[in-house]
Amino acid sequence: MALIELKDVSKLYGFGDATSVALDEVNLTIEQGECVAVMGPSGSGKSTLMNVIGLLDRPTHGDYYLSNKKVSRLGANQRARLRRDKIGFIFQSFNLLPRLTAIDNVALPLLYKGLSLGKRIQKAWDMLERVGLGDRAYYYPRQLSGGQTQSVAIARALVNGPQLIIADEPTGNLDSNSSRLVMELLSEIHKTGNTVLFVTHNPELTRFATRVVYMQDGAIKYDEQTKLGEVGRYARSVMYAVPETTEEDDLAGVSVMMTVLGKRDAAKPKKKPARSRTKKTTAKHKKVAK
Amino acid sequence: MSLRHDNFRLAYRNLKAAKARSSLTMLGIIIGVMAGVLVLCIGQGVKQQIAGQLGRYGKSVFVVRPGPPQTSTSLLSGLSGSNSSLLTEADLHTVQKTHGVSAVAPLSTVSGSMTGDHMVNTPFIIATTADFEDIIHQSMAAGGFFDSSDDGKAVVLGASIAQELFNDNAPLGQALLWHGQRLLVAGVFNDFVAPPFSLESNFNDAVFIPYATAQHASGSVLGIYQILAKSDKPTDASRVVSSTDAALVSAHGGAQDVNVALATDTTSQSDQTIHLLTTLVGIGAVIALIVGGVGIMDVMLVSVTERMYEIGLRKAIGATNRQILRQFIAEAFVLSGIGAVTGVVLSCATVGLLRAFTSMQAVIVWQALVIAPLLAIAIGMFFGSMPALKAARKDPIEALRHD
Repeated sequence: MALIELKDVSKLYGFGDATSVALDEVNLTIEQGECVAVMGPSGSGKSTLMNVIGLLDRPTHGDYYLSNKKVSRLGANQRARLRRDKIGFIFQSFNLLPRLTAIDNVALPLLYKGLSLGKRIQKAWDMLERVGLGDRAYYYPRQLSGGQTQSVAIARALVNGPQLIIADEPTGNLDSNSSRLVMELLSEIHKTGNTVLFVTHNPELTRFATRVVYMQDGAIKYDEQTKLGEVGRYARSVMYAVPETTEEDDLAGVSVMMTVLGKRDAAKPKKKPARSRTKKTTAKHKKVAK
Repeated sequence: MSLRHDNFRLAYRNLKAAKARSSLTMLGIIIGVMAGVLVLCIGQGVKQQIAGQLGRYGKSVFVVRPGPPQTSTSLLSGLSGSNSSLLTEADLHTVQKTHGVSAVAPLSTVSGSMTGDHMVNTPFIIATTADFEDIIHQSMAAGGFFDSSDDGKAVVLGASIAQELFNDNAPLGQALLWHGQRLLVAGVFNDFVAPPFSLESNFNDAVFIPYATAQHASGSVLGIYQILAKSDKPTDASRVVSSTDAALVSAHGGAQDVNVALATDTTSQSDQTIHLLTTLVGIGAVIALIVGGVGIMDVMLVSVTERMYEIGLRKAIGATNRQILRQFIAEAFVLSGIGAVTGVVLSCATVGLLRAFTSMQAVIVWQALVIAPLLAIAIGMFFGSMPALKAARKDPIEALRHD
């Protein structure tokens, strides 16, 4: 039984001449228990795909079945409840509400489910223990490192016992050590039977996936099964294929500056998955590959 | 839903977590509430002061003034410059003899410096008779008013002039030198309540001396600028007024050059003033409340916009629109509630301070204490939750993108 089934799903933005196609009749079936890495250049529709699958966004055309139930035309509140009960989200940044402690952040979905305070604390505590942050329960997000923040986000994503975990570039702002920590955590979750979907720019991280989906221009270009622990075949080939800078950058003569600035910015968390990240991360991994 | 139970505690915690934003919002509400309450309280206070002063005289008191019948100014107007001629002693007797008049007091002003412990060059001296006390209804701080059995040497002081002459609240029995005569202080009036911002002559600055003494000292006929009189019975007052008028007109050979009116009538003419004041206070309060409301609205709108991302995130992890809305309503309620109560308390404190340290006798208007905070809470809740609802209705992804 397929957990996720997308049939000719399209997502359009804008009207008339300004229409842009974020998803172009995507067909995708994901079985229970898969761990899918979604790759692709910026603007290829990865995030839109995640948002549609995660019920944050509605497809413009096409049908979406979650656990064999058609969900593409549900109302806002029904989608909210499905998100609460079936899906756990991990975003790239700004995952946690800065004014709540770690444990309160983790307990949020339970609050919306209507659990009593005692149960909420108990469950949230268990989850924090599970991601190894039991001793940081009453820390505020600003007192946590990037890796710890993402771990708290994972705990929150898990706290409702969802079938599906969606992580949109969960390691986008992390150094390689923290990245590995977070990915190992996700991998562990996958091994306990959850379905995990994650977006990444780092081909190395496809080692944690059982399947790699490569997107371009809103469509799925390659879709391959991989073994755990191996970098996907296509992923390996794109490792070197993505240009470090675009033509426009060269024309503007700012490519050198961007490399420098990009490195400096990498330390800080960014609000958005910036366009330049593609170049930056691939640049980094080029070096790693050497 | 069990969420309801948690809402206020959670709201309180959320607000406490965001101290800067919360206190700023609350400041907006406090200022809004205070603006509304204070304008009403001060306005009402001033109004009451003026009304109280105008209504001091009983229903039976009436006033005779020179000049044709006209809309008179307030009863206490001192030397209005329009007086073409003054009243005479003959007029005084005419009034006195009119049937139904029980008490008559002329008011004249005389000049001359006075020396007590200190010298006052141009004191405001009013020459009158013993009946004045009976008519004016003003309590004494010390001593008593002079009466007809006195030897004509007794004077009575207003509260301020007593201080000026003797540095003493009750300089009873002290001597005053005026035109070479030794006068003795027989009494001191309590403060005449004068409304703030009024141009009326202030009896607190006045020295009251017996009419006969003044006449003797000045050696000439004293002009009377006003005669205060009182009828036997309040019910008879208007009849006595008309008969007095008739008596004076016939005494003057048919000339309509005297104006007789009940004190309450002159007061009722001032009702217009009071009505105007009421309207002004009302408009002021409404403007203050609108300004306060706009302030609350602004702060609330800003704070909700600031929290778009939070709304997006909460929705992403499963909050329904209603749950988001409830959270924001609870927060707005707690915030505006605390703000409104603080505003009321501060307003009351300000009213107290105004009463203690200024001449403005602001009063606490309980309607303002109820309406202003309720309005503030309503505005706060509306503008605190409506934008939140708008945000909640968006797709979470849009709210998340909103930085």
